[in-house]
Amino acid sequence: MFGLIGHLTNLEHAQAVAHQLGYPEYADQGLEFWCMAPPQIVDDITVTSITGKTIYGKYVESCFLPEMLAHQRVKAATRKIINAMAHAQKHNIDITALGGFSSIIFENFDLEKMSHVRNIELDFRRFTTGNTHTAYIICQQIEQAAPQVGIDLKNATVAVCGATGDIGSAVCRWLNTQLDVHDLLLVARNRDRLEELQAELGRGKILELMEALPLADIVVWVASMPKGVDLAPEQLKIPSLMIDGGYPKNMGSKIQHPDIHVLNGGIVEHALDIDWKIMEIVNMNVPSRQMFACFAEAMILEFEGWHTNFSWGRNQITVEKMKQIGVVSRKHGFQPLLFNMN
Amino acid sequence: MTTATATTVLDYTSDSYKDAYSRINAIVIEGEREAHDNYLQLGELLPQHTDELVRLAKMEARHKKGFEACGRNLSVTPNMEFAQAFFAQLHGNFQAAAAEGKIATCLLIQALIIECFAIAAYNIYIPMADPFARKITEGVVKDEYTHLNFGEVWLKANFATVKAELEQANRDNLPIVWKMLNAVEADAKVLGMEKDALVEDFMIQYSGALENIGFTTREIMKMSVYGLTTA
Repeated sequence: MFGLIGHLTNLEHAQAVAHQLGYPEYADQGLEFWCMAPPQIVDDITVTSITGKTIYGKYVESCFLPEMLAHQRVKAATRKIINAMAHAQKHNIDITALGGFSSIIFENFDLEKMSHVRNIELDFRRFTTGNTHTAYIICQQIEQAAPQVGIDLKNATVAVCGATGDIGSAVCRWLNTQLDVHDLLLVARNRDRLEELQAELGRGKILELMEALPLADIVVWVASMPKGVDLAPEQLKIPSLMIDGGYPKNMGSKIQHPDIHVLNGGIVEHALDIDWKIMEIVNMNVPSRQMFACFAEAMILEFEGWHTNFSWGRNQITVEKMKQIGVVSRKHGFQPLLFNMN
Repeated sequence: MTTATATTVLDYTSDSYKDAYSRINAIVIEGEREAHDNYLQLGELLPQHTDELVRLAKMEARHKKGFEACGRNLSVTPNMEFAQAFFAQLHGNFQAAAAEGKIATCLLIQALIIECFAIAAYNIYIPMADPFARKITEGVVKDEYTHLNFGEVWLKANFATVKAELEQANRDNLPIVWKMLNAVEADAKVLGMEKDALVEDFMIQYSGALENIGFTTREIMKMSVYGLTTA
């Protein structure tokens, strides 16, 4: 059995969903209430691979909200993630993906040290960040969406924003060795980490965000911030391709320009309909088939019987691991989300 | 949730700590004393389980002695008057239910609500406790799971017939728990225990118990937060 740990976009969204699902006790409450709310299994999922194999899973709502980070409720935020993981383990889920902010909180606040939760000793082998698959899918989106919008990768400058993160660094490694791109721009907040990455890659220019954006034919956005970010078309090259692989995904609505093509990054489409309610709730365009690639990683690991933390630890994702997950991703019918050209 | 290390340094010998401890320690001692009596009373209501319930009652009596030692260790005199008033309403409801022979209500109050609350509080207290109390509390919390389990097993076996009674008992008693929690919020904070963590851990434990008994997720989500926001 696989599991997905997820959360809602913001307080307003959480209240609306609680209303929609018929939980008035949750619907009218403020942030304080969500800081006390326990994790819940809110969906049972059945997925069938194009190989014919069927697997079962559960969706664990952690009750985390990004406002907890914005309002310095770090203890509540970390509690939500650890408690959701304990909940998944208690329900005998073999492999669970940490979606949205869950894996970021786990890494940033060093939750590996908090393995003892009440009478449960967390077994981290049962969890995956799903970041290897997300990074792989983003790279596929770069390769396949660029020609869709008339960008030739050989002549393209690619800016990776959030380059030193787990997903960002993996994308850089792939771009460096697997795709023939003209130039690579590395953008992140921490200068030391940027220099380390540059040394590892043996290429790439370190630039500030606002310097990099007007130069980039392709912007890969893999930074995650509690409030998102405001970018305007004037700050970007025209034409350009923006792959919004961050969280929350809001570039599509913020950047409205006919020659700036925004694609939701790190999203896959499954070849067959999936029986679940949750993707409608998290506002996917095609809720029966589309999902975050990190969630799909848990499904893929379950299909293959790889009950192990395939993606774990910061900046450990190799090109080989990305290729490995890519092969089985395709095998079971997952495809990167691309532009609908019809 | 327990964290690996205490984030704030507590001075167990300070007047403010000992003052707060005099009430919290008393609550724990009184809670264990009432639990002892409640399990003996349940043993009379459930003659086929008397031996098991007497055994559970004896464990509670041992816990009481352990917590009395914790108070002595910090040279704190527990404020038992405060603790008796603290439990009065819940205690009254248990006695009323016992008098009417409402076993499910008695079990919900003692074996579910009080045990879940104790487990949540002890788990959050342990990383913040002084070394002496930590060791004692670690031993106690292991036992409390077995008490919770007794209630779960009996209620699960009788779920169909007691479901409605449990829902009513939940409505009658859970709001009291939130009020009790508010009454000790400030003292608990002095001991390094935060209210939102206590509530969350209680709800996790209580939701788990309701799930084991046979309630659906939807029912649990409604029951476990009943009265929380109006308390």
